[in-house]
This record gives sequence, structure tokens and C-alpha cells, in this order.
Amino acid sequence: MNWLLRLYPARWRERYGEEFAAVLASQRASPGLVLDVLGGAVDAHLHPQIQHSRSNSIEDLTGDDTMTLEMLQRCAAGGPRLSASDRRIASLLMILSALVMAVLYIGLTKIYPAAPAVQALFYASFPSLALIYGQTAYLRKRPRLTQVFVLAGGLSTMYLFMLAGCLIGAKL
Amino acid sequence: MRQTKNDAELDDFGRFSEPALLILVSLAEGPRHGYSMTEDIAAITGVRLGPGTLYGALARLEARGLIAALKSEDRRNPYQLTALGERALRARLDAMITVARTGQRRLANA
Repeated sequence: MNWLLRLYPARWRERYGEEFAAVLASQRASPGLVLDVLGGAVDAHLHPQIQHSRSNSIEDLTGDDTMTLEMLQRCAAGGPRLSASDRRIASLLMILSALVMAVLYIGLTKIYPAAPAVQALFYASFPSLALIYGQTAYLRKRPRLTQVFVLAGGLSTMYLFMLAGCLIGAKL
Repeated sequence: MRQTKNDAELDDFGRFSEPALLILVSLAEGPRHGYSMTEDIAAITGVRLGPGTLYGALARLEARGLIAALKSEDRRNPYQLTALGERALRARLDAMITVARTGQRRLANA
């Protein structure tokens, strides 16, 4: 289950990862637990608390080490600090994607009930939303081709992974 | 529920409001780390907080200075209440007691 930790932002994992993993390992695996962790990951992307922490605030730092510390923090965060506009656009895209996925899933379920390919769409939708938010926000200043390539690659990999899981599950 | 300034510290926690309150109650007994908090909260309420909920609330409490992480050798930091967190907890519990007493009095007179 520790792979779910990868869905959290890098800076968040750096701060809480080990203790989070210990709590996660202490609980019995269940769909409810997976949903709780996924919900936490989406929240950590949408409402990053660490950069607002009073004790970690880069604005509180002074002196010659400020630039080095800021660079380290940016590297730990896995990308540049997001502007309000970046977060707004990424959130909007994530909400739209959720709606599209929901409509697609409902429509396909009516036509192909219990098909593994459709079930895989359902399971892939949750991590895909976190992926869409993260990639949209952090790659916004990259070339359009890079954005499309990374996002499409990530989503395809996610779907194929879930499809493999569903096909194996159907055989068992 | 009537609010005081300290009580309002817990206002913008959204769905993490109740877990945050339970964490503060758990830490009122002394410093604890995440696993110990989930066990304590489960013993108090019968509900085991998932790690996503627990750390969503913990991160908010820490960011607002209501709790603070203590240094630890194994990086599983224990957390403790800060003075601000203690005041916020007292204020919220006082407000809850007022509501509970009022409700019980009204039920008794019903």
C-alpha cells in the first residue's frame, strides 16, 4: 500500500512520509482506507499546508543562505511554487476531467456492464485526477508538446496498469 | 454555537474540523506520534482515523501553530499542543459544554 504515498506532493512526503507510512502499515487494507489515502492526496495537492507553515515559511528567512534554502525547498517540492492562477486553472481542469470521466464511465457501464476495460476506467479515475492537477500546475510553463506528452503518457500508464489489474482480477 | 477568538482557530478546517478536535483532545494528555494518536482516538470514540484524514488534519494544525512537532531520532515526530492549541481546545470544549448543557436542560423540560 505504500505506493499510494507517491500520489502525495514531494514536499509533503519529505515532511510526513515516514510517519504516514507507519500509520498506513498499522491499518488493515480496505477500499475505505484506499479512498481515505486518495482523498488525502488530492487534498495535499489542492491545499498544500506545508508552504504556509509558520515554522517553514521561506519569508521568515534572512541572510546569505536564503537563496540556497529557497532552491532546496523548490527542489523538494518537485517544481516551482504555484501561483494562485496556476492552482485555479489546474483545479478547474481537474473538476472538468472528473465530470468527463464520470459521464464516460456511466455511459460505458450501460453499454458494457462489468467489462474489465470499463472497471479499469473507474479505478484509474481517482489517481488520474491527482495526476491531471499536478501535471497541469507544475508543467504549465513548459512547452505545450511536453505537457501533452507527459500528461497523456501518465494517464495511459495509469489506465493500462489498472486494466492489467482488472484483467487479472477477472481471471481469478 | 457562540464563538470566542480562540475557538475560531478551528473554523476553516472544513471536513478536517472534527478530526482536528480529536487530535487536540488526544494531545491534551501529552505528546504523541501519529500511530499513538489513532489508537487513542479509536479508544475514545470507536472511530479509527485513516492516515489521509489524520495527516490532513495534522498538517493544518501544525501550519496554524496549534500543535508542534518534537525532534525525534527516528523521524516519526511526536507532536505536542502549543499554548495557542491549548487555548483553542479549551475554547471549543467550553462552547460544546454550553451547547450540551442547554440541550440537556431543554430536553429535561420537554
